[in-house]
Amino acid sequence: MTEINTPTEPPEAKTVEIPETARTLPSGEREFMLDVSTSDLEVNMGPQHPATHGVMRILIRTDGEVVTGGQVHLGYLHRCAEKIGENVEWLQYLPYTDRYDYLSAMNNNLGYSLAVEAVMGVEIPRRATILRTLCAELNRIGSHLIAFGTYGLDVGAFTPFFYCFREREWMMALFEKICGARLTYSYIRIGGVFNDAPVGWLKEVERFCDVFEEKWQEYYDLLVVNHIFVKRTADIGVIPAEMAVDYGLTGPMLRGSGIDFDLRRDVPYMAYDEISKAGVFDIPLGRGEKGTLGDCWDRVYVRVQEMMESIKIVRWCLGVIEDGPVIGDIPKVIKVPPGEAYVGIENPRGELGHYVVSDGGKVARRCRVRGPSYSNVAVLEELLPGTFLADSIAIIGSTDVVIGETDR
Amino acid sequence: MPILQNSFEENVLTTKVDWLLNWARLSSIWPMTFGLACCAIEMMAVGAAHHDIDRFGAGAFRATPRQADLMIVAGTVNFKMGERVKRLYDQMPSPKYVIAMGACATGGGPYYKYGYTVMKGVDRTIPVDVYIAGCPPRPEALLEGLMKLQEKIRNSSVIRKPARTA
Amino acid sequence: MDFNAIHQRLTEINAPGLLSADTPRAADPEDKEDKGRSGEAYILIDPSAAPEFLLAVRDDAELAFDILVDLTATDPDVEDESLWLNLHLLSLGHGHRLAVKAMVPKSDPVVPSMVEVHRAAHFHERECAEMFGITFDGNPDPRNMLLPDDWEGHPLRKDYEFPKEYHGISCE
Repeated sequence: MTEINTPTEPPEAKTVEIPETARTLPSGEREFMLDVSTSDLEVNMGPQHPATHGVMRILIRTDGEVVTGGQVHLGYLHRCAEKIGENVEWLQYLPYTDRYDYLSAMNNNLGYSLAVEAVMGVEIPRRATILRTLCAELNRIGSHLIAFGTYGLDVGAFTPFFYCFREREWMMALFEKICGARLTYSYIRIGGVFNDAPVGWLKEVERFCDVFEEKWQEYYDLLVVNHIFVKRTADIGVIPAEMAVDYGLTGPMLRGSGIDFDLRRDVPYMAYDEISKAGVFDIPLGRGEKGTLGDCWDRVYVRVQEMMESIKIVRWCLGVIEDGPVIGDIPKVIKVPPGEAYVGIENPRGELGHYVVSDGGKVARRCRVRGPSYSNVAVLEELLPGTFLADSIAIIGSTDVVIGETDR
Repeated sequence: MPILQNSFEENVLTTKVDWLLNWARLSSIWPMTFGLACCAIEMMAVGAAHHDIDRFGAGAFRATPRQADLMIVAGTVNFKMGERVKRLYDQMPSPKYVIAMGACATGGGPYYKYGYTVMKGVDRTIPVDVYIAGCPPRPEALLEGLMKLQEKIRNSSVIRKPARTA
Repeated sequence: MDFNAIHQRLTEINAPGLLSADTPRAADPEDKEDKGRSGEAYILIDPSAAPEFLLAVRDDAELAFDILVDLTATDPDVEDESLWLNLHLLSLGHGHRLAVKAMVPKSDPVVPSMVEVHRAAHFHERECAEMFGITFDGNPDPRNMLLPDDWEGHPLRKDYEFPKEYHGISCE
């Protein structure tokens, strides 16, 4: 048996030199750092990840808990929508438009239809315009509900997710009654809308508005002003106004930084000219209430307030709708005269633009889609360095990225 | 032990074990969060309170493939993503199952014809157990697919290997 | 400001690279081939002066096009010998838009990068480069954006052939 030397005296105490600049913690101790060398770690976040809102991959370089660099990699959901646009007929392309920003399919259909109608020069009947506005705004509410619910999930709050889906199920049931589909509607078509509202549908939309206003207050009190949520999102991911304009951000990302610009009011399309002149809705802006102007909380605040403004627009539409045809005078096989047009509309995520080039035939020459999330996500490469890893999740969630739209 | 020798196939003990194991497996299929595209939203709706997947025991969505039994491929798989799908499938421990949810995962979906980078069905890289049609399929359709998978598990046995290795 | 006023202002400030403007017109009754042009108007510029043009229209107080909404390209036809480079601009202060087009020859598709003027151009240029084969001189990170790194060909060109298989998986 080997001898085991148990030490009889305690080991020598090592002294550490505490520098003069060391802080004194509330407990009275001095805070100091040991000289330990570490190396940067490169970690893949995604493409399969619960918090990236789809299949996005972010290559993060971290120094311990602090992120020192982030590189965005997209393309994991590239579905060749633009090439398909050059090969199928005008009306046949409509279902593909649903599928790029699948959370707000009505708005996508609307953007495409408006672009084609700009080249065709077709007159849209009044009832179709009001129904289009109504559906687009209801879909904006649905999209912001998911943005809000999943953002709660990202920062660790499970309950708002279930509450948001409760309202969303009702909204999807309404859409199912009018066009038959829950998620990818293909309802707003070139020339008008596909189907008239069934009997009693408008009354049910009004009831939805009444109930939603009460539930909205629940969401606000439950999550938006929740102390933990505020601590997690205030002063994080601050986008100054110049950076927002330089990166081409639009939508809540821009308004969260305090810039007062909304396409519905400033570059109006459809009935929005009338609506903004009647003063129906306000444009909520970030004001830096809970932290710095342009932080994550401001963007969440803008989205939640926008839901309320959409309800006001829906009520206005219910007030002015009259009977009439729902689709304009367009032929069965659509042939668009030669020309080109770019129309940008206000998607829940920003400016959704369709650039359509026609050569006079049944098939488009070019059908370009400008997805707002594509520009919005570029700002991450500048926002992520310097944050903690947990905060980087909060920043990515606040951009409200939908990968179907970045990759098309 | 002479009782068990030469009577392994028709042994009542084995079928009871089969029944027990299968019941345990089908009542707690834990899916992996693998929503790719629009079908992912319907999968989230299935996970939410209205159509509750938790009553089937499948409500615990695990983020890591190491802890998951089921991969619900919800959405379009393209070539760039397909290599990662294969890698994730390989990382899942047996017994593992795959549900191809939606038209895109089944056979390419609406991107079948002119999608140059779309994989025409996820079964070109990984073996699939249940296919669910729809674009996107209703949440009830996904639940029916889950129940079909439970049927498949119920009829499997420990003597023949219950899951395919890749 | 409407399109004609914008065009006039551009000529006043001598915007670099400005060539002409194209507005919608009805079909010519004399010419049977001509079907006219509908839709919206655009400005035609010289592609090598694109960054200077963007800088000039951004800094001018009356135009103030501070957001680069979109940067893309179009392949008009297989036989056509140039690609169109399309830019779309938006002004936050005045609320007007501008569509800009530049003809890039297919034989030598090189355009100076616009990242210095608008950081938004970075991602759009990367996508344009892989889809059309246009090289943006000076882009800080010209990797493939949406397509896999070893993808062959430029998909959005009209003469693109769909691939038969990729890494052993059939594309049929």
